[in-house]
Amino acid sequence: MRNPRARTTELLSMLPPLPGWISAGHAETIESAAFRAGAALAHLTLISREETLPLALWRDRLALVAAEACVELAGRREGAGALRDALHLTKAGDDPGPAGRIYRQWSRAVARPMSVSNLGRALEGVVPERIALCLDATGPTPVDRAAQVIETVLTDSPRDETVALILADAVLARSLGWTDVLPLLSLTLKARDLRLRGHGLRMACHRAVLAGVGQALPMAGDLARAAARLRAAAPQLRAKGAVRALDLFLSRDALAPVALAREMPDSLSDRAARRLCDRLVELGALRELTGRDTFRLYGV
Amino acid sequence: MARREEGGLDRDLADLPPDLRWREWLRRIEAVLFASASPVARADLSRVVGQGASVDLLIEDLAVDLEGRPYEVAQVGTGWMLRTRAAYAPAIRAAADVGAQALSLSEFDLAVLATIAFHQPISRDGLKDIFGKEISRDLIGRLAERGLIGTGPREPRRGAPYTFVTTEAFLAAFGMESLRDLPDPEQLADAGLAGSSEAPDV
Repeated sequence: MRNPRARTTELLSMLPPLPGWISAGHAETIESAAFRAGAALAHLTLISREETLPLALWRDRLALVAAEACVELAGRREGAGALRDALHLTKAGDDPGPAGRIYRQWSRAVARPMSVSNLGRALEGVVPERIALCLDATGPTPVDRAAQVIETVLTDSPRDETVALILADAVLARSLGWTDVLPLLSLTLKARDLRLRGHGLRMACHRAVLAGVGQALPMAGDLARAAARLRAAAPQLRAKGAVRALDLFLSRDALAPVALAREMPDSLSDRAARRLCDRLVELGALRELTGRDTFRLYGV
Repeated sequence: MARREEGGLDRDLADLPPDLRWREWLRRIEAVLFASASPVARADLSRVVGQGASVDLLIEDLAVDLEGRPYEVAQVGTGWMLRTRAAYAPAIRAAADVGAQALSLSEFDLAVLATIAFHQPISRDGLKDIFGKEISRDLIGRLAERGLIGTGPREPRRGAPYTFVTTEAFLAAFGMESLRDLPDPEQLADAGLAGSSEAPDV
C-alpha cells in the first residue's frame, strides 16, 4: 500500500469500454436494437460491480441528468445549476418550485433502495398500488417492461413524464436484478418518443437504453477516477470526521458545507466544514460547482 | 368537522354487500370534497375508503354520478375538488357578489401573480427587474394570505432572499390542472401580449 493512487489509476485503465459493435451504426430493426440494448446492459452490469466506482454518487449524478431531461420535457428551461440550487437552497417545508420538484423526485428515487414505499415517498401523489402495479409490469425483456410502464402511465396522464420515466427506469433496474434505480432510459428519451405507443415506443426505449449506457459509462469512468483522487487525499486531512465527509462526497452529487456539517454535528462545525471543502479543492480532490463566492456547493 | 371519531371510522365496511359498500365510499368522497374549500389529496381521500379501494375509480364513478349536475369533480394538481360548471358562472354572478368573497385582488396584484407563475421561483428583486419598480411586501403578503403563493428556494446572493412559487390553491383558483396549462410564453409573445421573456438566469 505504498502508493495507493498509482495502483488505483492502473486498475482504472482496465475499466473496459463498450465494445465497438454494440454502439456502431444505427439499429434498423427492433431485433437488432433489442440485441444491442441487451449487450450494453450486460456490459454495464459488469462495470457496476467494479469496486472503485462510487455507485451512490453515480446514481445521484445520473439523476441530475435525468431531471434536466424531464424539466425540458415539461417545457421548462432550467439547467443543472438551477436545479442544484433549487434542491440545496430550499428549506425544509418550502417548495423547491416546479423544476426543483422534478429534481427532488429523481434525487429521492435514487437515494434509497428501490421499494414501493421509497418510490412512493419520491413520487408524491402517486398511490402505492399504482407503483406496485408498474413494478410488476410484464414483457419479453426488461426494456419492453419499461416501455409498458411508460405507455400505461402516459395513457392515463399524458403530462406525468417524470413519474413515467422514474417508474420505467425502476422496472428496468428491477428486471435486471439491481437493488437501486439507475437512470438510463430517461437520459435521452425525447417528447416525440414519449408520444409513441406499442412497437414504436419499444423501439425508442431500446435505443434510449443504448444511448443511456453510452452516457452512463464514461461518467462511471470519470467518477471512479475522481473517487480515487478524493480517497488519495484522505491522509492529508486533519479535520475530525474527514473520512466520513469523504464518504458523503462519494455518495452525493453536491453538498453545501452547512449540509455537510449538519450530517455530522459531533465532529464538524459549519466553519470546519467550509475549511475542509476549501482544503479538498486545494488538493485537487473536490470541485466547487457553482463558481460563486457565496452559497457554494461542492462535489467531485 | 364538528365531531371527530378517533379511529372510529369503519373504512372497510365489511358487513355491507359490495355494491352498497361502493356507494357508501362514493358518498364519503363526495362529502369530503363538498366540505373542503381547497383540493383534497388522494392520500387523504384514501383514508375514508377501504384499504384496497381505488380512489381513482371512485372519482371516475363520482364524475359519472354528477353528470347533469351544475357542479363537477375537478382534478387540481395532485388532488380533487368540487367546482361549479363554467356554464353557470353568469347565474352565480347575477345572484351573489362572488367577487367580494373570492380573490379581491387588484389588476396589478394579478399581474404580479401571473409574473410569479411564469417566472417562478422568483424573488422580489426579480419582480422588480421585470416591473421596473419595487413590489411591496404588502402585495406579496396579500397573495400569500390567499394561499396563492408560497416560499421557494432562497436566492444564492447577499441576504439570501426568498423566492416565491405558486401553490395548488393558485391552480384551483384559475381552473388549471398543472402549470403547463399556463399559456405558452412564446404564443403570448407572438400575439404581442408579452415582450421577449427570457428565463431569469440563475
